[in-house]
Amino acid sequence: MIKKKVTIVNDAGLHARPAAALVKLASKFESDFYIHLYGYKVNGKSILGVMTLAAEKGAELELELDGPDEEEATEAITELIDDGFGEVYEDGDE
Amino acid sequence: MMDLVKFMRMEMNDQVDNKEIYISGAPACPGIVIGNTSLYQRVRPHISDTQIADDEVEDHIHKFYEALDIAEEELRALSDNTDLKASTDLIQMQIAILKDPELHDRVEQEISANNKPVDSAVESIFRNYLQVIRRNHRDEFQNKSVDISDIRDRLLQIIHDKRDDIEEGTILVARELSPREIISFSNRDIKGLITDRGGATSHAAIIARSMNIPTVVGAKKATEVINSGDEVVLDGRNGEVVVYPKNETRKKYESLIAQQSKKKADFESLCQKPNKTSDGTPFTLQANIEFAEELSIANKYQAEGVGLLRTESIYLSSKDFQNIDHQVAFYASILELTAPHQVTIRLFDVGGDKFFGDEEKEQNPFLGWRGIRMLLEQPKLLKNQLRAIYKTSGDFIGRIRILVPMISTINEIRKLKNIIGEVKKELLSEGVDIDKEIPLGLMVEVPSVALKADLFARHADFLSIGTNDLTQYTLAVDRGNERISNLYDQRHPAIWQLINGVAEAGKRNEAPVSVCGELASDPISACCLMGLGIDTLSMNAVVLPSVKQLLRENSYADMQQLAGKVLQAETLDDINNIFSNWETK
Repeated sequence: MIKKKVTIVNDAGLHARPAAALVKLASKFESDFYIHLYGYKVNGKSILGVMTLAAEKGAELELELDGPDEEEATEAITELIDDGFGEVYEDGDE
Repeated sequence: MMDLVKFMRMEMNDQVDNKEIYISGAPACPGIVIGNTSLYQRVRPHISDTQIADDEVEDHIHKFYEALDIAEEELRALSDNTDLKASTDLIQMQIAILKDPELHDRVEQEISANNKPVDSAVESIFRNYLQVIRRNHRDEFQNKSVDISDIRDRLLQIIHDKRDDIEEGTILVARELSPREIISFSNRDIKGLITDRGGATSHAAIIARSMNIPTVVGAKKATEVINSGDEVVLDGRNGEVVVYPKNETRKKYESLIAQQSKKKADFESLCQKPNKTSDGTPFTLQANIEFAEELSIANKYQAEGVGLLRTESIYLSSKDFQNIDHQVAFYASILELTAPHQVTIRLFDVGGDKFFGDEEKEQNPFLGWRGIRMLLEQPKLLKNQLRAIYKTSGDFIGRIRILVPMISTINEIRKLKNIIGEVKKELLSEGVDIDKEIPLGLMVEVPSVALKADLFARHADFLSIGTNDLTQYTLAVDRGNERISNLYDQRHPAIWQLINGVAEAGKRNEAPVSVCGELASDPISACCLMGLGIDTLSMNAVVLPSVKQLLRENSYADMQQLAGKVLQAETLDDINNIFSNWETK
């Protein structure tokens, strides 16, 4: 089993579109996937579960993965979250 | 049974002789239809509160999975039917909910462990989720919870095998409709839509337009006044609805419909013909649009690109438009759908009132801080938009043009060009492919610009005349003020004089001139513009065929003669006379 902490970086947080992307990615792996936040634990392959978290920008999630492909899964999921689900806002000022 | 009820009501109508009722709303998609109505309600079936026996459990679980399959199939069919980014996102989220493994477990558990019937199990599990989601989220998420309850309701309808009360071939009357609902009507032969709420620029209205269903929105009390099965006339051209039309009213509209359907058939063959006057002079007709969905009509009518892409509502309606990549995706979607033609993107054109509260309200917003005046003082907003446009341009070399709103001084152009230079340099140093030669054009809408058109033409690659604001500023008439709206007419002699000056200045300075205001969508005025040498006109795509028809029926020589007469005219009455003589010649 792997446990890993990641921080939500995109401005809008874990809203509907990112939640759908996260669940879609996680479902490709065989390993069980849970997310811990503020004392809640939800199934990371459940979009309704993920949406109940209401994780905003800056929220620190703990990922828990358990299964034969847990390492690849952890890596892929961490990358998606770190990349802000492809939604990181650019600063056009400078 | 239903037919009998309808028959009885019709009989009663004849006896009581219902008085004609007029309801008006906002026109959302043109076209006239006469027909009987269906009242559309979002059905929430009655949930059973009984318990099921142990030997029924299997059956109820089976029903649950069956409902999931049917709902998913429906959503996939919808998503095949739309290129709309926002609808696809919504549909993908709803499909993800249907596939949610935890939802499956919980509903199964509720049925097998608590002996709940399937409908009540679905209802209570969704209720749990929605309660937690609403408690944990800030207000803005409430919209999303509507999408979650929408999919729950659909599941419950399927379980109860409940069809909505839509009868094919009717005009639907509803309080409001979601984009998903409208898309789902596409195979139900719905003749028209009337809703209590919503505006002509709402997402639902745009989808109705893209599907070409005559629609009136914001008809406030429509659902209270209209009953299922009532006969109504829906006029999507002006937003009028007539309930219980009198015989003569019905006849009037029937002949209008006959005229229109003949026109429509003619239009379709007309649109295949080349854009040339009867003596062979070519012209270009383009579309004014705001959303990708509007391109279905523009493409059907063979518009040659987009002469005016408005960017205001996408900016204002969508928070994540601050995100450059989303802007790029939007521009790219428009360019893909209009290949190989040009797309003229107008920079964000709003007043300061959109950013600040009432305390900053200007006395004369139309003479105030708007267009380029505002953009130059909001460098982040401006640069974001320019970055997005240039980033898009790499994949569409030679197809994008930039149009600047509300220019009134040369200094504004200089400042803007400096900023464009910076943006290009930044992108090139980041290794981004860009079109380095995007033409920069100016809106001619301030009278001083039209009067000094030679000067402005020297600083621009092209000029686009916005007759709506040019008229308002030249005639000093607020077009929104009903008391003086009779003074507002884009065919005014002073406007023709200004347009002529701009057309000539454009020729002298080799800056192409086009018109994107409403004047271009008036067929005879379009001929007159052509006569002044303006051969590129951009308009709401809906009117494109009627403009094309008149331009094709007449010779360029006649149009030049018409323009000559119009420039001699002294009053608006003179112009109207010249036009009506020309049309009946």
